[in-house]
Amino acid sequence: MTPEEQPIKPSPPVEIASGPPSRALDPVLAALDPDRARPAHVMESKALKLSFGAKTILDDIEMRFTRGTITALIGPTGSGKSTFLRTLNRMNDKVVGFSHQGDVTLDNQSIWEPNQDLLTLRRRVGMLFQRPNPFPMSIGDNVVAGVKAHRIAKGKQLDVVAERRLREVGLWDAVKDRLGDSPFRLSGGQQQLLCLARALAVGPEVLLLDEPTSALDPISTEMVEGLVRELTPALTIIIVTHNLGQARRVSDGTMFFYDGKLIEHGTTSQMFDDPRCEQTQNYVTGRMG
Amino acid sequence: MKAIGGTAGDLPGAPPAKAMRRAPAARRIVDALRSSEEQLWRWTARVAVVLPLAALVFAITVLAIKAYPAIIVNGWSFLTGSSWTYGSSYGATVHTHGVAHPMGSSFGAWPLILGTIQTSAVAVVIALPISIGAAFALTERLPRWVSQPLGFAVELLAGFPSVIIGLWGILTFGPFLARHVYPHIADHMPDVPVLRYFRNPVGHGEGLLTAGIVLALMIVPIITATTRDLFGQIPPLPKEGGEALGMTDWEVARRISLRWVRSGIIGATVLGLGRALGETIAVVMITGSILHVAPNIYSPMTTIAATILTQLDGALTDGTGFAVATLAELALVLAVISVAVNLVARFIVKRSGRLGGPVGRA
Ligand SMILES: Nc1ncnc2c1ncn2[C@@H]1O[C@H](COP(=O)(O)OP(=O)(O)OP(=O)(O)O)[C@@H](O)[C@H]1O
Ligand SMILES: [Mg+2]
Repeated sequence: MTPEEQPIKPSPPVEIASGPPSRALDPVLAALDPDRARPAHVMESKALKLSFGAKTILDDIEMRFTRGTITALIGPTGSGKSTFLRTLNRMNDKVVGFSHQGDVTLDNQSIWEPNQDLLTLRRRVGMLFQRPNPFPMSIGDNVVAGVKAHRIAKGKQLDVVAERRLREVGLWDAVKDRLGDSPFRLSGGQQQLLCLARALAVGPEVLLLDEPTSALDPISTEMVEGLVRELTPALTIIIVTHNLGQARRVSDGTMFFYDGKLIEHGTTSQMFDDPRCEQTQNYVTGRMG
Repeated sequence: MKAIGGTAGDLPGAPPAKAMRRAPAARRIVDALRSSEEQLWRWTARVAVVLPLAALVFAITVLAIKAYPAIIVNGWSFLTGSSWTYGSSYGATVHTHGVAHPMGSSFGAWPLILGTIQTSAVAVVIALPISIGAAFALTERLPRWVSQPLGFAVELLAGFPSVIIGLWGILTFGPFLARHVYPHIADHMPDVPVLRYFRNPVGHGEGLLTAGIVLALMIVPIITATTRDLFGQIPPLPKEGGEALGMTDWEVARRISLRWVRSGIIGATVLGLGRALGETIAVVMITGSILHVAPNIYSPMTTIAATILTQLDGALTDGTGFAVATLAELALVLAVISVAVNLVARFIVKRSGRLGGPVGRA
């Protein structure tokens, strides 16, 4: 994209460097990486414009998400973070009035391409919501609900999957004796971990998190954050958060949305310590928002 | 009381204490009014709780008293026997256990009890899937400008006079079924247990299956209207969770929405079942009113409610009053069946509610 076409764009598309060197730059790990043949950017948005009815929510979003990294989406309320996030797994598609221009790709293939199967897309791009949303079925069935729907496993294998995923999120010891119970009696934090286990069970490549800890207490929040960090580099994570400390702690890259625009994006340390735009500076230092 | 008035003034930012404070007499009147209001409210609530229960107990007690002579004479065979004769009203009156009744009278209600259960069961089996499908379409599938008038029509149908439906059933619908639908089922049924019950002859459209179908039409609106409201109250988040996981709309409906409101649907079904069990006039018109156990599913038969209506006139001519007592006993049996159905439903709700959606939470 040339400067002529984008005269007011504050920041050109900059690639977010991968996290600690041990993850991305280690040659041994890189050689072992089964994804090495695939594009380095697992998802990409190109000149994306999102509207509800006549109202444009976001315009001209140009962004690449590097495989195996964590990207934080920050910005004041109503700035369109959720709208952007929910576009990535096409949750907005059936919202009345929603329309988009531009494109979003997953592994260089448009997510709106006719031969892109919506169910497969959602298996590959998972989502965790702001508030825990267990299904009205037993704890064990919750974990494998997606696995069953996608026919990934069946019968005895389901129990194995359930145990593995519950161990992965650190919930196994708490629930192993009550797998047949209702999930609604678990604490809010435990319910959110259960939903995380459920999302992980179908083996997504990208995980979208929309303020996943805003309804949780500090200890549960810390647990979820720790898990999120451990999930990379196997997964690419995009997380919306109002908690700037959280964005700083967990993410490799940060995007700042304001007033319908992607004002700036870059590595998290650059965005917080040395932002290019004044608005970003004001926001990350708490003078705005 | 005084302390409250005093502290309000001391709160930071509150108006000066003087302005808040009422004259003590006025304050006392206000307080007295509020507490008597509270008393009234509590008593209203108590009465409201007890009233329906009292009405039920009263109705069953009166029935039991009226039926008492019949209960004594007919004994347990009333529930298992199949003969239904009033005896000779001109002949001698005899006494059994001290109760006067016409000579030769003998009552067994088994065909009626079975018929009531059969017609209602057929109705529910047909109505439940249709209602759930319709409710789902109304809430999730159809655009608002279609679903709203359609929903209104459903509500109207829920209160539609059953005599009209019965008349239509016997004049048009029953004969149509007997001519164009039943033969296709009957001709293809193998001669094996259970399915044998669906074999020929199909009759003329008066009978068990027609009654079940017409009853289903009558209870579909009841179950649909309630289920639609239940579906509308499911919070969006669990459904979105299912979609985000890659479930199809059908899977979300079946695995999430339906389970979320399972106990409510059972409740709605019991409401419908209650109507089917007690429906009288339409059943009288469609069943053919034959007092026997239906030999196949198309055969004429009758139910408890229908029999009470059709036999009442004749029963009133029995000078000993025994026939009326027997009809009261029949009514008592129907009341017991209704209560039993509700208790069973309550038990199912309790068991399934364990894993259902939390009520009153998002
Ligand atoms: N379904 C919708 N129809 C119309 N407008 C919508 C819809 N959903 C969101 N919007 C609008 O889009 C804008 C962006 O909303 P969005 O939820 O993406 O903000 P957000 O950055 O996630 O805010 P928050 O931090 O409060 O979650 C808001 O102005 C909102 O009113
Ligand atoms: Mg949001």
